[in-house]
Amino acid sequence: MKTRTAKVIHFFASLKVAIILLLLIAAYIVIGTVLPQHGTEALYLERYPATAKLILGLSLDSAYSSPIFIILLILFSINLALCTITSLNGQLRKMKSNYYPYFREEEYAIDGVEESQVQTLLAKQRFSVVEEDGVLRGAKYRWGVLGAAITHLGLIILFLGGAIGTMSSSEEMITLLPGNQHRFEKQGFTVELDDFYMTFEPSGAVKQYYSDVTVIDDNGNRSSETLWVNKPFHHNGLGFYQANFGWTSNLQIFDEQSGEVVVDGLLRNGGSYFYQPKHLTVFLYSYYPEMGIGHDQTPVKMSDREVNPHYLVILYEFGEPIDYYVLGPGEHIHYDGLQISFTHSIAFTGLLVRKDLSYPIVLASFITIILGLIVSFYLYPRFITYKDGKLITSSRRNEWVFYQSIKSTLTKKD
Amino acid sequence: MYQTIENTTFMIAFILYVASALLFFVQISKLAKKVDKAAIIATLSGLVFHTIAMGARTIGAGRLPFSNQYEFALSFAWGIVLSFLILYALYRFGAIGAFVMPLAILVMGYASMQSKTVRPLMPALQSMWLTFHVGTAILSYGSFALACAISVIYLIDSKRSEDHKILADPEVSDILGYRVVVFGFLMLSIVIISGAIWAQKAWSRYWAWDPKETWSLITWIIYAIYLHLRLRRNWKGAPAAWFSIIGFASVIFTFVGVNILLPSIHSYAT
Repeated sequence: MKTRTAKVIHFFASLKVAIILLLLIAAYIVIGTVLPQHGTEALYLERYPATAKLILGLSLDSAYSSPIFIILLILFSINLALCTITSLNGQLRKMKSNYYPYFREEEYAIDGVEESQVQTLLAKQRFSVVEEDGVLRGAKYRWGVLGAAITHLGLIILFLGGAIGTMSSSEEMITLLPGNQHRFEKQGFTVELDDFYMTFEPSGAVKQYYSDVTVIDDNGNRSSETLWVNKPFHHNGLGFYQANFGWTSNLQIFDEQSGEVVVDGLLRNGGSYFYQPKHLTVFLYSYYPEMGIGHDQTPVKMSDREVNPHYLVILYEFGEPIDYYVLGPGEHIHYDGLQISFTHSIAFTGLLVRKDLSYPIVLASFITIILGLIVSFYLYPRFITYKDGKLITSSRRNEWVFYQSIKSTLTKKD
Repeated sequence: MYQTIENTTFMIAFILYVASALLFFVQISKLAKKVDKAAIIATLSGLVFHTIAMGARTIGAGRLPFSNQYEFALSFAWGIVLSFLILYALYRFGAIGAFVMPLAILVMGYASMQSKTVRPLMPALQSMWLTFHVGTAILSYGSFALACAISVIYLIDSKRSEDHKILADPEVSDILGYRVVVFGFLMLSIVIISGAIWAQKAWSRYWAWDPKETWSLITWIIYAIYLHLRLRRNWKGAPAAWFSIIGFASVIFTFVGVNILLPSIHSYAT
C-alpha cells in the first residue's frame, strides 16, 4: 500500500500533470503574444470591454510576470524534479550489466545468421558481450537510459537560472557624448567614451555602430575597449551593450545689441530651450544629418550620414508659435535682435548596462539540455540476443530503425 | 548577372518540383508504373537548380540567404526537399514525395511572392550566430514538413485496404514520422538555444518573450508533448499523426503568421 505522501509524489511526478501544466503554460504564452502587454487599464477597457476585467484579474496584461504564470512554472519545475527523481531508480537498474529487456521475437528477429557474423558485428559496433548457456547477448549505450533525466535536469537548471536572473538582474541605459564619463560606484570603476561613430552601407543604411570606451579603475588603471552590436564587453560583473544612439545639436543665441553669445549649449531632438529675457522658446523638432524633401514637401531624414545636415526649428514667444525654420549649420534665424543658429551636431551613444549573474547557469542548462536530447534520441540503449542462428534486436526508443540498421549490416556482410 | 542566374534557376527548380510532385502522384495513384525513378531524378535535379539559385543569391548578396522572408522561404523549401531525399536515400520510400513535394512547392510559391531585393544585413544580424541559428531552423522546419507529410500518409493509409496503401506498412510510416520529428525537435532545440545565446550578445537578454521566440517555444512544447505521449504512453498511430500535423501548423504560424500578425524584434524577417 502506498502512503499518502507517496501517492501525492506519484501524482505530482506524473506525465498527466506535466502535460496539463505544459498546455496551461502554452496557453498563457499564446495569450501573451496576442494581447497587448503592459497597457493601461483604460486600453483594455476600450479594446476588450467584455473581457477586460478577466484580463486584468488574471494579470494577462503582463502574462509573463503574472503570479499565475510564475506558479505554473514553479509547479512544472516541481513536476520535472519529482519525475526525474522517481524515475532515476529504475533507470539506474537498467544500466546494470545484468539487465536485458524483453525481446519481441515475432517482430525483430533475423533468422539464419551465423555466430561468427554476430561476433564480428558486436565487436565492430562495440557492444559489450556476454555469453551464457549458449545465448549470446550484446548491449550498447546502457547509460543512454539517462537521456531524459539529463534533459529534465537541464530544464530545471534553466528555470533556476531564470529565477535567479529575475530576482538579481538589473539594467540601466546610459548615454554618453565623446569625453563624457559614467561612474559605477558599487563596482568601483568609471567608463569614459572616447569616440562614437558609425559606418555606412552605400545605400546610406547604418552598417555598424561603434563605441570606443576607456575603463578607469580606482587605482587609475586604464584599459580600452571597442564595442558594437553583437560585441558587448564585460567588466566587474557588468555587461555593456551597444543599444542605441542619437544626435545632440549645439544651439547658439547671439545678442546683436550686446554683441555677445548669450546661449551656447547642446539640445537633443525634440528638446527645447527657453530664453527668459525675451520669453522665447527654441524647439529643435529634429536634426537631419542627410536631409531630403518628402512627398508633402516637408524635410525627411534620408540617412545618418552627415552629408546634407539641416535643422527643423520652431520658435515660440510667450508659448505661441511664431514660425518654423529649416536651417543649415551656422545659418541664422533673426528675431527680435537675436541670431539663433545651430553650429554643429554630435552623435551620442546609448549603452545598455546589465548585471545578470544567472547567465552562466543558463548557459550550463543549454548545454545540458542538448546533451540530454542527443543521449535520449541518438545514444539510446541497444540490445541484441542470439541463439541457434536467430538474432533478435531490442531498443525501446527506436526498435524498428535499430532492427533495420542491424539487418542491413548483416545483409551487407553477405 | 547573379540575379538573372538566381531567377532562372529558381524557376527551373520550381518547374522540376512540380513535375516531380505530379510523377509521385501518378505513382501512388497507380496510373502508370515505374515512374518513381523519374520522380526522384526530377526532385534531385530540382534540388541542384535550387542550390544554384541559393548559391547565386549568396554570391550576389555576399552572405548566406538567411536574412529576410524570401531568403528564409527559399532555404526552408530547400530544407524540405533535402530532408525528403535523405530519407529516400536511407529507406527508399519514394511515395512520401507525393505529399512532401507539394509542401516544398507551396513554400517556393510563397518565396516568389516576397520581395527579392538584396538588402545589407542590419547590425544586429551581423553575427556568426545567424548562420548557425537559421541553418538549424532550415533543417528543423524541413524535418517537421517531412514528418507532417508522413503523418498525412499514415492517416490516409489507416483507412485504406491492404492493396491500396501508399506505404506498405503503416507502422513503418508511423515510426519514420516519429524519427523525423525527433531530428526536427533536436534541431529546434538548437535553434531556440542558439537564438538565446545570440540575443544575449546582441541585446543583453537571452529571452525577451518576443513573439517569434515565444511561438518557437510553443512549437517546441507541442512536439515535446508529442514525444512524451509517444514514449511514455505509447501514443502511436492516428493521435501521433494528428499531433505531428498540429506541430507543423505551429511551425508555419511561427514562420508566416507571426511576421504578418505580431510585431517582433524579428521583424527584419519580413
